[in-house]
Amino acid sequence: MNPFALAYREQQQLFIFDKTYILGTLLKVGGLATLLARFIVQFFWNPAVAMVLTLLLLLLSAYMTWAWFRESKKDWKIIPVCLIPAVFIGISLSDNCLHFEYLVSILLVQAGLLIYKGIKTNRALWGVLLTIILYFTAGSAAVIFALCAAFEHRPGCKIGVFRPAVIILAAAVCGITAFFTAAVPTWTDAFTPSLYYDLDATMPKVHWIGWIILPLLSVLFLLSRGRGPFICGLTLLLLTFIPAKKISDKFEAAQPRIGHIFEYYTHNEDWDGLIKACEKAPWLPRTANYLNMALAWKGELAEHLLDYDQRGVSGLVMTTQDRAVDVAQAHIMFAMGNVAAAQDVAFNTLASLQGFCPAMVKINAQVELMRGTYEVADKYLSLLEKAPHYRKWAKEHRRFLYDDAAVEADPLLGNGRRNLEAENHFIMYTSPMTELFPILDANPTDRRTLEYGLCYLLLAKDLNSVKHFITDFYSSPDSPPLPRIAQEAIVFYSEYSRNMEGVEPFGMDWCYGHGVTPETVKRFEEYKKAAVAGPASLKRFRGTYWYYLVHTEI
Amino acid sequence: MNRISIPFSLLVCLLVIVSCSGKPEGASPSGEEAPIFPDYKEVTIPANIAPLNFSFLGEGKSVLLAGDRLIRARHGVFRFGKRNWKRLVSNCTDGEAVALTVFEKKDGRWISYKPFNIFVSSDRIDPWFSYRLIPPGYQGWQKMGIYQRNLETYSEKAILTNDLTGGNCLNCHTYRNGDPSKMVFHARATFGGTVMVNEGEVEKLNTKTDSTISALVYPYWHPSGEFVAFSVNKTLQAFYNHDPNRIEVYDQASDVVVYNVRTHEIAWSPLTKSEDRFETFPTFSPDGKWLYFCSAEAVAPMPDKHREVRYGLYRIAFDEKDMSFGDSLECIYDAPSDSASVSFPRISPDGRFLCFTRHGFGNFSIWHKDADLWLVDLTDCSVRPMGNANSDDVDSFHTWSSDGRWMVFSSRRDDGLYTKPYFTHIDDDGNASKPFLLPQKSPGKYYKSLMSSYNLPAFTTGKVEISKRKLTDVLRKSPGTDVKVK
Repeated sequence: MNPFALAYREQQQLFIFDKTYILGTLLKVGGLATLLARFIVQFFWNPAVAMVLTLLLLLLSAYMTWAWFRESKKDWKIIPVCLIPAVFIGISLSDNCLHFEYLVSILLVQAGLLIYKGIKTNRALWGVLLTIILYFTAGSAAVIFALCAAFEHRPGCKIGVFRPAVIILAAAVCGITAFFTAAVPTWTDAFTPSLYYDLDATMPKVHWIGWIILPLLSVLFLLSRGRGPFICGLTLLLLTFIPAKKISDKFEAAQPRIGHIFEYYTHNEDWDGLIKACEKAPWLPRTANYLNMALAWKGELAEHLLDYDQRGVSGLVMTTQDRAVDVAQAHIMFAMGNVAAAQDVAFNTLASLQGFCPAMVKINAQVELMRGTYEVADKYLSLLEKAPHYRKWAKEHRRFLYDDAAVEADPLLGNGRRNLEAENHFIMYTSPMTELFPILDANPTDRRTLEYGLCYLLLAKDLNSVKHFITDFYSSPDSPPLPRIAQEAIVFYSEYSRNMEGVEPFGMDWCYGHGVTPETVKRFEEYKKAAVAGPASLKRFRGTYWYYLVHTEI
Repeated sequence: MNRISIPFSLLVCLLVIVSCSGKPEGASPSGEEAPIFPDYKEVTIPANIAPLNFSFLGEGKSVLLAGDRLIRARHGVFRFGKRNWKRLVSNCTDGEAVALTVFEKKDGRWISYKPFNIFVSSDRIDPWFSYRLIPPGYQGWQKMGIYQRNLETYSEKAILTNDLTGGNCLNCHTYRNGDPSKMVFHARATFGGTVMVNEGEVEKLNTKTDSTISALVYPYWHPSGEFVAFSVNKTLQAFYNHDPNRIEVYDQASDVVVYNVRTHEIAWSPLTKSEDRFETFPTFSPDGKWLYFCSAEAVAPMPDKHREVRYGLYRIAFDEKDMSFGDSLECIYDAPSDSASVSFPRISPDGRFLCFTRHGFGNFSIWHKDADLWLVDLTDCSVRPMGNANSDDVDSFHTWSSDGRWMVFSSRRDDGLYTKPYFTHIDDDGNASKPFLLPQKSPGKYYKSLMSSYNLPAFTTGKVEISKRKLTDVLRKSPGTDVKVK
């Protein structure tokens, strides 16, 4: 289990303290498990808490397994066996498509089994009743209850036929009813763990293990009649461990774990943490997107861009065809200052069938405040106020409602509002860079957008456009100092413009007049000598634009 | 403890009764409009509508004098209660009003807001209406479903939700003259197809043919129930950076065809499927002899020239005997000559009026702030706006009730984004009353927490009885019947 993957679950839902929401959730098949799971997962905003809570619940599950199988209070020898279901449930929870209800529903089933174990009379009737209750509250996991209760080993008692038959029949009737009333989409959902998996996605087989192992152990305990469950369990463990480990390793490798880490740092606005997390593989486009976004939020994008192994413009923003589920793109567009594009993506990722994504609700609320559409912003803030972890943030933002002056005075919201004043056009229609130009025309003071624009052209090695960009945005007395890498680019371009066809030559006077310092020119002379001397001499120029321009393939 | 609590409870009850038994004495008129949501002031309602509870937006303690009854706001909401409401409304003959006055206690003194009326019409409204609940999304659709609501109560039931069908897109639900047993809708993406519900029978259709540019899109039933007119559209959408309209949905090409329910064939006229025009939003006249649709001169490239696309309103004769079309088009309203565009034509059941949405350009009016409801009097083809029904924001997709006395339409007048259904009464001359918002038990709370738009509101004369299971199974399991070209 990865704590960041667990923490990301918190972003896949929004538990809200609202009567309609709570009742609406409870009235669905497995509603109690869903509600409890969402309640627990809301605390997963801290990975450590997520890990500890999950481990505690898995331990509770292991304890309840032991309490179910033990024949006496000192039946210690079966403890290793009782850990097996929890281990497999833990492995399964690494898959974020598998909802946390999977674990909670099994816990509810185990609680039901313990109640059932304590019942002495009318056990068939109680078994049926508990199956029905569990089906409604925990969902298809009630099948586990029915099977375990049916094959329960009670020392000195015969299993019989009637009791197991009616309990299993009850589970079957529940599943059939759920199917025919369309409470579940398919037969598979009615009887298997796929009820807890993302809608109509293919569920990896590994999730079956945590599901069937409890009834399987029940059958083994019954067959061994208490004489050697430990051996049975150990055999089972050995039999399952090798394939299970193989499956889980394969399965773990397929998970977008790294994205969960980046998202965690992003929605907590921990930019140093994000940079550190990205440093391991900055050449991967999506990693570079997060890395450069963190640099941009720190105001260091242009300054430190080439401190990392950049490989083209896709490192700034990697646009995908499917914008419907790309949370990262919403964050990146927001950082770029293209707030309309950010909202386009953020709205599409705002909600899933599981609930709202808090980070996306926040972006939507902020963009609506920037737009001045306060009624809609109020809607999103009201939603966040019902979620304890986001209440404070929402309340703090309430002061901006219907107060244009406050919005315009706020560094983030005011900047966003000014960006929205760009000439009207369709967003995400051409290249992200083309969209930044009108934004910069409307709001040249947006430092992040300015640096994104400059870095985009630099990474694209489009030196002619870099020159025009510098002319447009770095030439006035109010302009920020020209970043080092841009100086390097323009000095290089000046040198080579003399020999390039179709380029109007420009000399050092132009460069000095546009923010190039004598130090840069001096270093360029040194670079040229090093370039003649050979690759070894160029080592110290890594991190310069000259090195990127000549030695990085894009 | 019990000894104390029983008399105490009785005392509290007595105080509550006393406080609710008469209007606040000595209340001074504020001269201001009562701050309430929804705005039910001077609206016209049918006698069989569910109670019009509303929220008081002031901060003080408040009471409402409704007729001779005093109602205290609970958690800021005036709730009428079923019996009280029935009594209030049934006391009114046609056109009479229920008089309402809101009082608020401010700084220890009662003030009264300007009294207002709710007019009661004896024209009963169709008891059910259905709609799609969908986030007003820009590209993805997430959770959605087609629902129906009993207008006489607050009961809402899902007809089909997309969690049963792989999270796909469900759209364009349409009924034949409000008949809940004849319905058509589409499912897109996973388990896609067009679903025809015909008196308990459910059929899935694969409606893309080699001769048409897309699967069937916007439907309208022929009054006989034997045909459904559809458009076929190559639709795209784009998101503005800051335009108040936010999104532009536009067609790159579109045509109108008619589908035969029995033979599974589609047919068209060269006049409804031309290369140089965009034809869309078909609708049949109540006698079934005319097919109305919107048509615009095709422009390219799109979306660069999207603001130049303006649709006019046309009709062509239709003969149900052999599924044939007339030889010529008749222009009903040349909107482009008014620098306007027409969408969603819908004819009143008596055939006299045609209501459409009018906006500056394009066809997807729900994203156009200037969209308003307009009316054509088909006796003389005169055109006019439906004054009282319209607002400063979007007023768009509409359907007539089965008796033509009520209309439901989509409006974004409240927050500019989340569409809500408004109902308006239509008199003999086609005049619309001030519309009222769909009643809810606690409307303020409900609409504020609702993260979906009410989309395609449509009256039905009864409850849609087809089971979710049947619809789900057909969509998930049926390979579907291929539609052929006649």
